[in-house]
Amino acid sequence: MPVLTKDMVASLVATGGSARVNEAVTPKFKKGDTVKTRNPNPTGHTRLPRYVRGKVGVIQSDHGVFVFPDASAHGKGPAPQHLYTVRFTAREVFGPEAGAKDAIFADLWDAYLDPA
Amino acid sequence: MASHRHSDPPSDPALRVKALESLLTEKKLLEPAALDALIELFETKIGPRNGAKVVARAWTDPTYKKRLLSDATAAIAELGYSGMQGEDMVVVENTPAVHNLLVCTLCSCYPWPVLGLPPVWYKAAPYRSRAVIEPRAVLKEFGLELPESIEIRIWDSTAELRYMVLPERPAGTEDLKEDALAKLVTRDAMIGTAKVAGPSR
Repeated sequence: MPVLTKDMVASLVATGGSARVNEAVTPKFKKGDTVKTRNPNPTGHTRLPRYVRGKVGVIQSDHGVFVFPDASAHGKGPAPQHLYTVRFTAREVFGPEAGAKDAIFADLWDAYLDPA
Repeated sequence: MASHRHSDPPSDPALRVKALESLLTEKKLLEPAALDALIELFETKIGPRNGAKVVARAWTDPTYKKRLLSDATAAIAELGYSGMQGEDMVVVENTPAVHNLLVCTLCSCYPWPVLGLPPVWYKAAPYRSRAVIEPRAVLKEFGLELPESIEIRIWDSTAELRYMVLPERPAGTEDLKEDALAKLVTRDAMIGTAKVAGPSR
């Protein structure tokens, strides 16, 4: 790994490093599809929050192909797959006390989702 | 001994930072001047003033607003803001019927190029856990009361997308130019824990 020098800082910060992957991967879902999140309980890294496991939502948008952190965090490669924003009604997630109109949007990878 | 202390030891976070800096330098991963440059960038160049300029541009230029809502990363880069923790941006728009609120329930994800580094409360467990389950109660504590008729959309940034709220332009600002509008826009309004107030008379 090269040493980070003062001269590198500005361009490094201005460029960053996108987790987007330029690879053709077939999406499992499209906008408007109803999905149900899986209920895994891994001992390692996951980005599927517990509060949205086993919940039904709708694909709001498909952002394209991204690195899958559940794999990459464990040195298992990028496992690139589609990343979606999924809309859940607040009542689906938190029950009848939640606001009738409110919704929660989470960014979820293909591997977290099943058709519903 | 204890009664003869010349100075208190540095605080735990300060010691931890010093230890990390020494390690990174000794392992030849970092030149100390690079760290100073990073700190200076985030102290003086990268902060919510950037996001405020994006918002003011969107309020005054409808075609820019359209680009911002359809490809936020590119539209934000037009104003010169890009990079780390803003590589893939999404902007969500507040309207009279819809209020957006940002949170990262898993950690502290935040759109650095436009908002800078997150405030402490944004990273703290109470905000992260409560924003999703009782957004109205949380917003009330920020001084923002929203009726049930308003749809609250909570965006949990669980992946590498970074969000920013495009707040509503306040009434009474029709005569203001872009620069003056940008001065009204607050960090919290771009997180969704506040609205933008009109100019004080």
